Amino acid sequence: MNILLICAAGMSTSLLVTKMQQAAKEKGLDAIIWAVSADEAKDHLDRADVVLLGPQIRYKLSHFKKEGEARGIPVDVINPADYGRVNGAGVLDFALRLKR
Amino acid sequence: MNQFMRFLEEKFMPIAAKVGEQRHLQAIRDGIIMTVPLVMIGSLFLILGFLPIKGYESFMANIFGDSWQSNLLYPVGVTFDLLAIFIAFGVAYRLAERYQLDPLSIAIISVACFMLVTPYKISFTPEGADKTYEVTGIPLALTGSKGMFVAIIIAILTTEIYRFVVKRNIVIKMPDGVPPSVAKSFAALLPGFAVILTVWLLRLLLQVTPFENMHNIVSTLLGKPLSLLGGSLAGAIIAVMVAQMLWVTGIHGQAIVWGIMSPIWLALVDENRIAFTSGKEIPNIVNVQFMDIFYSIGGSGTTLGLALLLVLKSRSQQLKQLGRLAIAPGLFNINEPIIFGLPMVMNPIMMIPFILVPVVIVSVSYFAMDLGLVAKTAGVMVPWTTPVGIGGFLATGGKISGAILQLFNVALSAALYYPFFRIWDNQKYKEEHQMKKEVS
Repeated sequence: MNILLICAAGMSTSLLVTKMQQAAKEKGLDAIIWAVSADEAKDHLDRADVVLLGPQIRYKLSHFKKEGEARGIPVDVINPADYGRVNGAGVLDFALRLKR
Repeated sequence: MNQFMRFLEEKFMPIAAKVGEQRHLQAIRDGIIMTVPLVMIGSLFLILGFLPIKGYESFMANIFGDSWQSNLLYPVGVTFDLLAIFIAFGVAYRLAERYQLDPLSIAIISVACFMLVTPYKISFTPEGADKTYEVTGIPLALTGSKGMFVAIIIAILTTEIYRFVVKRNIVIKMPDGVPPSVAKSFAALLPGFAVILTVWLLRLLLQVTPFENMHNIVSTLLGKPLSLLGGSLAGAIIAVMVAQMLWVTGIHGQAIVWGIMSPIWLALVDENRIAFTSGKEIPNIVNVQFMDIFYSIGGSGTTLGLALLLVLKSRSQQLKQLGRLAIAPGLFNINEPIIFGLPMVMNPIMMIPFILVPVVIVSVSYFAMDLGLVAKTAGVMVPWTTPVGIGGFLATGGKISGAILQLFNVALSAALYYPFFRIWDNQKYKEEHQMKKEVS
């Protein structure tokens, strides 16, 4: 399970990545989770099973949805409240639900 | 307030997002971003060359000889003085990528075209002579930040002409069996020829006008007016207000606004660098460093003070926890936890200081520099993630006053956020109390 997170600079999202990795570990889930900036995202899409956007770049959703559809990967925006509270477990569940 | 929020969400945000997504603007932004690491590396040498410590200069001269400073400044020259060349390359590369054309071919054509509109003339005064001669050579004054606007225009022009020719399908087709890379290099020939031909004619045309060359015309018609606007206090205030209002709708305001302003603000940084290294008075208060270092303390909206309030003064458990979460990233000027967790987004109470505190901070910082209380930024590019205090110290070329202004801004922003924080905290506290009552 490869989860790609995208935000403006890839920095604030990397905070969430750490929390999501912890949550995945607790669940015994084998997941690779990483964060990149929107500019670098193109080179990473092919390796992802699910793509999540930070809410601050939700205006790029339609762009990434298109890229996702071409590859058959679900793409969505992270709930702002979960994002702000850095709710790793919540966002992980969201990613898993998207994948299903 | 509701009406204002609806305006932000339905009118303001979509327009700004569209502007931010505009392909030329994005290529400009991405192309300029490519140059930033280089400029930061150059800045490191710049700081070392001008550390304002007593006895530093003679200490260095004793160890490394009299020419220590010019030796140390070589890396500064190859980064700052070639900015326009990098940008001519980077912007064309990024735009070509977007059009799915061969980015590398187009980027080098763009550099060639940039040099094609640049006059190979330097004024030179031999030692002891009182006459200035014009000699042949690449004018570094125009390949640095001064040539940035020309570089951007040339990069876009190059890519668009190239695309036009390719779209018309006037490419040289190679027979089967020719290696693809050979075919590619030939394919680059015809569109490239069209580009060079056009830019060459443009140069010849401009040569007979009173402007003489493209650099003169662009700086008169575009560079100077834009710098005046973008470098003014009013320009800075409008920029932060737009950025903050976009954040209120939950999108990255700074990424969008900075994307548009960075060509202007970066040029102003470099003007300061040139003045700083030659010991002249620093001309520009507002520039990208001024904004990053004095307004984005703790993140967009000067929220480090607020993060401290959350940790120290919250009665609500929820906010206290958020503060603990937000303080560490806040030290590195990342504040998404506050923006989405407090939240600032669509919050009728907190959005008021969130939009207005930065306006006060920018104005106070501006006047502190204008009155000479605080040193202006010295053209030293410091990463925006540099913690408070250190950033202000380095960006001003090693002046304590820069660090003090940053700390002052943290205190001032905390004071201004406080009444609103109190209201929000009480509200959250009551909610938590209510919930507890209902549970028991």
